[in-house]
Amino acid sequence: MFNLLKRFFLFILILNFNSFLVGDQNNYGLEILKKTDKNMSGYGDSQSRLVMQLINAKGEITERSMRSKLLEVEDDGDKSLFVFESPRAIKGTALLSYAHKVEPDDQWLYIPAIKRVKRIISKNKSGPFLGSEFSVEDLSFQEIEKFSYKYLRDEQYNNQDCFVVERVPLDPYSGYTKQLVWVDKTNYLIQKVELFDRKAFHLKSQFFRGYKRYLSSFWRPGEIEMINHQNGKSTILRIEEQSFQNGLTDSDFTQNSLKRSK
Amino acid sequence: MLQDLIQRITKIQVILFCLLFNYFLKAEVDYLGDFSFEGRYFLEDGFLFQENFHSSFTFSPEIYFESDDGKKSFTFKPKLRNDSQDEERDLIDIQELHWVLTGNAVESRIGIRKEFWGVTETFHRVDIINQTDSVESFDGEDKLGQPMINISLETLSGSIDFFALLGSRERTFAGRFGRLRTPIVVDTDHPIYESGAKNKRMDFAIRWVKFFDNLEMGLSHFSGTTREPELIEDLSTLTPRLIPKYNIIDQTGLEVLYILGGLAIKLEAITRSGQKDRFSAITSGFEYTQIGIFKSRLDLGWIIEFNHDDRIENSPTSLGTRLTFNNIADTQILAGILWNDNTNEKSTFLEASGRIGDCCKLSLEGIVFSKGSQKPNILDIQKYKSPFEYLENEDFLRLEFIYYL
Repeated sequence: MFNLLKRFFLFILILNFNSFLVGDQNNYGLEILKKTDKNMSGYGDSQSRLVMQLINAKGEITERSMRSKLLEVEDDGDKSLFVFESPRAIKGTALLSYAHKVEPDDQWLYIPAIKRVKRIISKNKSGPFLGSEFSVEDLSFQEIEKFSYKYLRDEQYNNQDCFVVERVPLDPYSGYTKQLVWVDKTNYLIQKVELFDRKAFHLKSQFFRGYKRYLSSFWRPGEIEMINHQNGKSTILRIEEQSFQNGLTDSDFTQNSLKRSK
Repeated sequence: MLQDLIQRITKIQVILFCLLFNYFLKAEVDYLGDFSFEGRYFLEDGFLFQENFHSSFTFSPEIYFESDDGKKSFTFKPKLRNDSQDEERDLIDIQELHWVLTGNAVESRIGIRKEFWGVTETFHRVDIINQTDSVESFDGEDKLGQPMINISLETLSGSIDFFALLGSRERTFAGRFGRLRTPIVVDTDHPIYESGAKNKRMDFAIRWVKFFDNLEMGLSHFSGTTREPELIEDLSTLTPRLIPKYNIIDQTGLEVLYILGGLAIKLEAITRSGQKDRFSAITSGFEYTQIGIFKSRLDLGWIIEFNHDDRIENSPTSLGTRLTFNNIADTQILAGILWNDNTNEKSTFLEASGRIGDCCKLSLEGIVFSKGSQKPNILDIQKYKSPFEYLENEDFLRLEFIYYL
């Protein structure tokens, strides 16, 4: 009897200690990603020109160009508007998103040929976006509240000391079971993300390059590359031009603004 | 007095010209648009021996420029179409010629425009601003430009649009040598209007739309010349003809879209008075997409929609699927079937499309009609309870090549 009791207490102790350790790892991971998030915020609003290069397994390149507008929203996810400029067949096609911290994002697509605004079912975000290796999910804001975190280890990456943090999407409709994030210790910026699909297979890797600090407060990468390990294709999203704090407001992110974007 | 008026007019013109010139100077002009070739091959002879092969060219250039970071813009988009067989399918239309002025939460759009309302895929009950260019395509999604003044307000309780519609357009109908036509030709040169002002009557419309998380709602009202004319039989002339009759109607519409997980639930309903008895019509259904089927990057979407129309004894149901390849060429295959349970009428279609390079797009489409158990009677249009009876011999293949300018 006493033995049993002792074993029970020992068990409880181990359990507590374990959860203490796990809790610590989780908090540490969260703190790291919170710092990266803070490094990216405070931009107010931004306007950019983007070029997307789709590279197939043979290395052949197809280019798409687009414009984007982003608006930082306090206490909620940010708002964004992407407008396609090329290929000409889809010029004027535009995507409006209201990101949310926990709730699924609200998204609308404008199809200029039939002048129709169509609501996108947020569940359908794991598929490829416009034939690229990015999914709508990859291009959405990675709000802190949308994941749970676990610090894994320290590791060198690209001659930089990095933290490696595992984050697990809380959204059941996410295309990923987990993501490994490499954050450099100097500036707390995401350098690389490895994405694991629903079968826990290492599907894609995402690289962030050419970080620059703007208005001496927040950082932006100059280029994001997504490599698909399954099909050998990759997509490079290059930011050609960007400006911040242009005085954009909510009225630049309405369904009317979606319709008038060309 | 007269001189004063002339002076004033010239002044306005000068100001307008200056404004336009200003626009041109400030803004970069975008030249867009497309050029397309279409060939349609009908598998069977027409009931009046119309040709089996019809081809057409369409030229639709677009000039666009904006200033003030897109707060002011001007669009001009004409559309010219030439058909090899049917002169009723020739078209010169101004699809768009308008200015857009954007203020804070207010947008004014003045000129010829296109405006779409609705949420469903197979039938568009609520959409009413533009007239349908019904000879362009079988799905009825191609429209003619509509002159209007439209003020759009964004408020906390949704967006509200007011429309003053300056005149109305006549629906296009296939002519004597065209295919996919009624057995008796529609005489588009002698339409009947209820309004004394004929097609110059000023009509009004209003629409309110709001979204709440997973729910989107729209309510609209239209008061004016119908877009869907009644076809009146005229046997008084040597060759019988159908005359389109444009009544003045009042139509209230409701649109609902509700998102439940991965499922979209849709409803469009209208009630219309002014054309015979007041009636209602409803289209409602579901849309669901399977992402990444067969462990691939292909998506498969499903649509099912049910219809009700007080004017028709029994309405068809439609089932559609869309296979999206998610490749660089944006390849898509659409397939659908429209059927009527009671009459066994059916129409089945398959459409494949994809881009070729960055300049062009190719699409191939086939439709097969089956009249079911109804007996056709070519001479009596009133006995045609459904359009499929006269479409029985109109199965066709359609190839379209579009070059983007």
